[in-house]
Amino acid sequence: MSDPTGVPPQLADLDRALRGVRFDPRPSLGPEIEGRVRRGERPDQRAGRRRLLLVACGLSATIVAVVLAGGFLLARPPVLIDRCCFDLDGGGAADDGVTLVADRDAKVHRLRLYEDRDNSRSFSPGDPIRLDRGDQPSIREDSGPGLVTTEHCCLDFDGGGPNDDALVVMSVPPDRVIMAAIYERRPDRHGRRALETFPLR
Amino acid sequence: MYNYFRFHVPLADVAEDLTAETFLKVVRAAERFDRSRGSAKAWILTTARNVLTDWRRRARLRQYVSIGTMHDLVHEAPSPEERLLREEEVGQLLDAVATLAPADREMIGLRYGSGLDTSEMAQLLGISEGSVRTRLWRVLGRLRRVMAP
Repeated sequence: MSDPTGVPPQLADLDRALRGVRFDPRPSLGPEIEGRVRRGERPDQRAGRRRLLLVACGLSATIVAVVLAGGFLLARPPVLIDRCCFDLDGGGAADDGVTLVADRDAKVHRLRLYEDRDNSRSFSPGDPIRLDRGDQPSIREDSGPGLVTTEHCCLDFDGGGPNDDALVVMSVPPDRVIMAAIYERRPDRHGRRALETFPLR
Repeated sequence: MYNYFRFHVPLADVAEDLTAETFLKVVRAAERFDRSRGSAKAWILTTARNVLTDWRRRARLRQYVSIGTMHDLVHEAPSPEERLLREEEVGQLLDAVATLAPADREMIGLRYGSGLDTSEMAQLLGISEGSVRTRLWRVLGRLRRVMAP
């Protein structure tokens, strides 16, 4: 980007500001991709190709097969998801993570918010736990003044695949977490849906 | 490439997924790469653009609310307060970019995300260098108007 492009003077500051924006991925991303390549992992099938495949299989796939597939999905073991790092407790620093044990795209068995004190970008022993709940998103205690509710969207929090889950956290900054739950931000058939109508998990 | 995606998507995790997806596609299609049709950089970026288009198609019904975490932002701010200010500044800039039309965002992403120079952009977009410059300055002009108070 060193070509002398002759930026108009009135745009020079904007050009400079944009040039100054630089993001670096986490250091482990490179080795992770390398590992996926070595394992011969395939890139995601495109939606169009999936549709074609569905059409090809389409009607010939029997209801029995669907039921069997459903049974297989239901029988899959829960997954452990670890997402880090965000400012979940309102403390101002993006040093909080969330771990979930959940059935893919379904029930949450356990949800834990932690502070990534050792900057490992994942939960490790010694990281302070800010909230640890079971399968129900209940409010832990009297919140007192200063309660803040934040919505964090959108990631794959439940191992279902697409980044269609949101995490809602009620906290009293800087580090007291009162409630946390996830929900799927699937729109209704009109493409909209009120936040209150999303079932919390 | 990660930086290119980061100019287009609000979340680092999504940018990471798209980066990985691009590399997996590039590796699988490496044998088909024809040097006579352009540089490897342009070829990889074309793959990245296709991955981004696919992602947009899949995500078109989804509403993204940026949570304002820019843990992947490279900065030289010496204190947490200055870092926050820097994140806010970059957040405003990228929020403004997000309001532009897709073609305008693409110009910004290629230029400032991927760091392409004018000739590389011209090759990738199949237009002349003069057109690249004209378009880019127009896009910056629109961005300036979006950001004007």
